[in-house]
Amino acid sequence: MRLEKCWFCSSTVYPGHGIQFVRNDAKVFRFCRSKCHKNFKMKRNPRKVKWTKAYRCLHGKDMTQDSTFEFERKRNRPERYDRNVTEQTLKAIPLITKIRHERQKKHITNRQKQGKTKERERDAKELEQDIQMLPKKDAILSTQKTKVVVKVSQQQTEENLMEE
Amino acid sequence: MATRIQFENNCEIGVFSKLTNAYCLVAIGGSENFYSAFESELSDVIPVVKTSIGGTRIIGRLCVGNKNGLLLPHTTTDQELQHLRNCLPDQVVVQRIDERLSALGNCIACNDHVALTHPDLDKATEELIADVLGVEVFRQTIAGNILVGSYCAFTNRGGLVHPHTSIEDLDELSTLLQVPLVAGTVNRGSEVIAAGMTVNDWTAFCGSDTTATELSVIESVFKLREGQPAAIVDDMRKSLIDSYV
Repeated sequence: MRLEKCWFCSSTVYPGHGIQFVRNDAKVFRFCRSKCHKNFKMKRNPRKVKWTKAYRCLHGKDMTQDSTFEFERKRNRPERYDRNVTEQTLKAIPLITKIRHERQKKHITNRQKQGKTKERERDAKELEQDIQMLPKKDAILSTQKTKVVVKVSQQQTEENLMEE
Repeated sequence: MATRIQFENNCEIGVFSKLTNAYCLVAIGGSENFYSAFESELSDVIPVVKTSIGGTRIIGRLCVGNKNGLLLPHTTTDQELQHLRNCLPDQVVVQRIDERLSALGNCIACNDHVALTHPDLDKATEELIADVLGVEVFRQTIAGNILVGSYCAFTNRGGLVHPHTSIEDLDELSTLLQVPLVAGTVNRGSEVIAAGMTVNDWTAFCGSDTTATELSVIESVFKLREGQPAAIVDDMRKSLIDSYV
């Protein structure tokens, strides 16, 4: 039993799922579900279909090159069974997946950070250029930021009141 | 010396077993008779390993090997690969190859020094063969058949080829492989030599349908019979092969 990758979307195909198509040139195509199979039959290129891993990796949306991917490579020359090595490998596997997930999340947050700074720049520019668009009252309010306390002597105010 | 055996009432021994100078692979059969036949002859000299390839029993036609290595098709599962690696000695390199022609036993015939391959084999595979098996690779056909692995069986000491091989072809192959070759049959006239028998430098196993004449030809060409005068072999050749095509 081997967990294969779907040819179209690159998700894992578990036993009992999906369809395998063997072409006349002996190339095997594995699909995780009928959605991918139908897209393949329509001759769609996965590199152009937005929700596939192929598109996301090609357009830099997801992490492509990392040393954690090297652990999952298919190997054609096996090594003799060693109990200690197997034990170490089994212990290491969840650690490696955790690290890989962390790195993938980091990649996406880094990608989105640039968007945040650009947004702030755009907002500052808009404030500078389009301040006239706001109604006068709000415009004045926006310019008047600090309250200035003016001291008036008490006798003067009493006189004014008396006059009125 | 040559032994006659059957695999589940089938005389095509070469399909269900693979015999080399360093190991022997045997298919998992219903009864243990097949395995015992190999075990009784060979187990004190070389490891006899029961295996399957890609879940099938036709291991002799799917894999190819010699004392230096074993090549397996891409259909071999990871568990089978690991099992073979654990059971075979460390000098034998076990390698799985990605090749369109996955029945390697039908496409490649080899001994410890030379290999004959299917003319349509990939360049990368050819290099892998040269590397893993440590052999010189020649692309050839035998009597016009491209499946060289099935129509000839040869070891370091001799070889048996398809009965309709012409004398010129026989001489050419003989010089290429540097071993004496004879055109003959196995299993009562079956032309598919490698499917009907397996052989290494000191033993041979044939299907139970093999006639005594065929068996004696095999024993003489592979030099399994100790100290037989050559004259008898020549006489036999005349009686066995009536026409060269």
